[in-house]
Amino acid sequence: METSFAITGKGYVLVAADTTAARSIVKMKTDEDKIKILSPHLLMAYSGEPGDTIQFSEYVERNIRLYQIRNTLTLGPSAAASWIRRSLADSIRSRRPYAVNLLVGGYDTSSHTPELYWIDYLGTLTKIPFGAHGYGSYFALSLLDRYHDPEASLEEGIATLKRCLDEVAKRLVVSPGKYLVKVVDKDGVREIEI
Amino acid sequence: MPDMNSLAHPQQHQFNPYTENGGTILAIAGEDFTVIAGDTRQSEGYSIQTRYAPKVFRLTDKAVLAVNGFAADGNMFVKKVRQRLEWYRHAHAKDMPLRAIARLIQTMLYARRFFPFYVYNILGGIEEDGSGAVYSFDPVGSYEREACRAAGAAQSLVQPFLDNQIYFKNQTPAQDTSHPVHLPLHSVLALVIDSFTGATERHIEVGDGLEMYVVLARGNPALQSLQDLPGAEEVTGTQAEERVFVIRRDLKKD
Amino acid sequence: MSIMELNGGSVIAMVGKDCVAIASDLRLGNQALGLSSNFQRIFPVTDRIYVGLPGLGTDVHTLWEKFRFRVNMYTIKEEREIEPETFAHLVSSTLYEHRFGPYFIEPVIAGLAKTPSGGVKPFIAATDLIGCLNFAKDFVVAGTASSKLFGMAEGLWEPDLEPEDLFETISQALMNAVDRDAYSGWGCVVHVITKDKIVTRTLKGRMD
Repeated sequence: METSFAITGKGYVLVAADTTAARSIVKMKTDEDKIKILSPHLLMAYSGEPGDTIQFSEYVERNIRLYQIRNTLTLGPSAAASWIRRSLADSIRSRRPYAVNLLVGGYDTSSHTPELYWIDYLGTLTKIPFGAHGYGSYFALSLLDRYHDPEASLEEGIATLKRCLDEVAKRLVVSPGKYLVKVVDKDGVREIEI
Repeated sequence: MPDMNSLAHPQQHQFNPYTENGGTILAIAGEDFTVIAGDTRQSEGYSIQTRYAPKVFRLTDKAVLAVNGFAADGNMFVKKVRQRLEWYRHAHAKDMPLRAIARLIQTMLYARRFFPFYVYNILGGIEEDGSGAVYSFDPVGSYEREACRAAGAAQSLVQPFLDNQIYFKNQTPAQDTSHPVHLPLHSVLALVIDSFTGATERHIEVGDGLEMYVVLARGNPALQSLQDLPGAEEVTGTQAEERVFVIRRDLKKD
Repeated sequence: MSIMELNGGSVIAMVGKDCVAIASDLRLGNQALGLSSNFQRIFPVTDRIYVGLPGLGTDVHTLWEKFRFRVNMYTIKEEREIEPETFAHLVSSTLYEHRFGPYFIEPVIAGLAKTPSGGVKPFIAATDLIGCLNFAKDFVVAGTASSKLFGMAEGLWEPDLEPEDLFETISQALMNAVDRDAYSGWGCVVHVITKDKIVTRTLKGRMD
């Protein structure tokens, strides 16, 4: 089942998403990248209805790029999250809503802080120190209540993230096999191996 | 012209053996007394059936039972409990102790596990060691001993108030002091009256009258003050060491 | 699954002597699962008006953005700050615009109105999700713990409380009410509005 996690640490946000694209009971693909890079310091992990996720994430990506071109100014994480939330909130009361859940992680280059936002398909937005979507949230959140440290170094953050992935692998009946992990910090966005 | 379509189909009728008659009950245990209270309104839907239908009953001189939910089941249940207590008296030549009554009520409720008495019970009184006690039950017999409990229509209004005023939840005692474990009778009676006036104000199924039973342990110093209290009526049985009083108050009738 | 109880949360407002208080819990959940313990659902409208928006999480933000826009437009056109009673009617008509497909929010408004003599008059109000106004003289409640809040407030509130006593009263009412509600809690925030200042306090609460 689709699962995504994100945790903040000292100067970074770690975002992990599983890489399976499933249709009914069949795995169609096991190397799908479900973390979109929206701008040099902004990441978005998406999950939900297969067609909607691609459509919506590309819509967000291009609008954020458009804003950058028009204003020669990049949206900060909180502004981007607000805009994305509004798009989903308008969508939920439309004829055909997008069924997409998001974790938006970014590094605010003006205040030098890592920020993480939890957004669901209804347009519910909340700023959090760590979060998850999908069945993984039932395992990871309690674990992160115990082990999350906002002052943790990247290595410690990765170790905590691994605990989450291991717990899901151990206890979830239909656990995803592989995860893709990306990190955003003062140096920008990069993929990391775990 | 009868509706032919509806006649074409078989008509199903379901008899519902239960109804909900509103009202609220409440019991608070002190160190050497217990107060068991209930309002006296009985309603069904938006109609008031009567403004005086007691929900609180003296079982023995040290046990009082409050029943709330489906009134017919409640009255029947009290009748059956009283019958069992009478048999006990004939067999053992004494009243059944409070904790034994509590266990008896559990067995009687669970015996009807698959056609329950639709009643929430609160049993209050004096234990054999002389302490005040409250036992609260669900309709199928799960029970526990507590210091206070509200049940019925206004449970959600009253119980958090009791948490705050009886258990002192969310209150920090001043430096080098502690909260009292048990409150004196006059404070408990004041809290019961406040609880019911509050519930009457905001809940349509609560009101008309209030009956507060007070069970005093033997040698309780509050005896004199209760005997002098205007409107307090003693309802103790024959050869009692514990004393039972009932205090009646009016509640708003709108 | 009720939409009004999907995310949880409760708000209460009370009148005091020349002051008002408004308070809410900080939980955002998805049914039984808690997601955030820092979800602000009370917002400042002007220097002396606050609005609390308990209900569906997405509509908390959407409605607040709408109110902010409409209050700004009012301020520009009228060249003065909006009065609490006017704002309450703005809230009511905004909600009623969506009579047959409502926002799932039951707003609570607290503020100080200006009197002709230059003093202030406490004002509180609440509406249902389609904008039916309730101008109470004592207290208003809304959210998943509303019945518990009614019981607490009915027992604790008294007329003409001074700001510090009003703070204690509203805090105790809220904390003990949300402790009996599975969908509310996880900390509280309390605002006490007086003529010359607003005191905001964040309270620790049970985390279960």
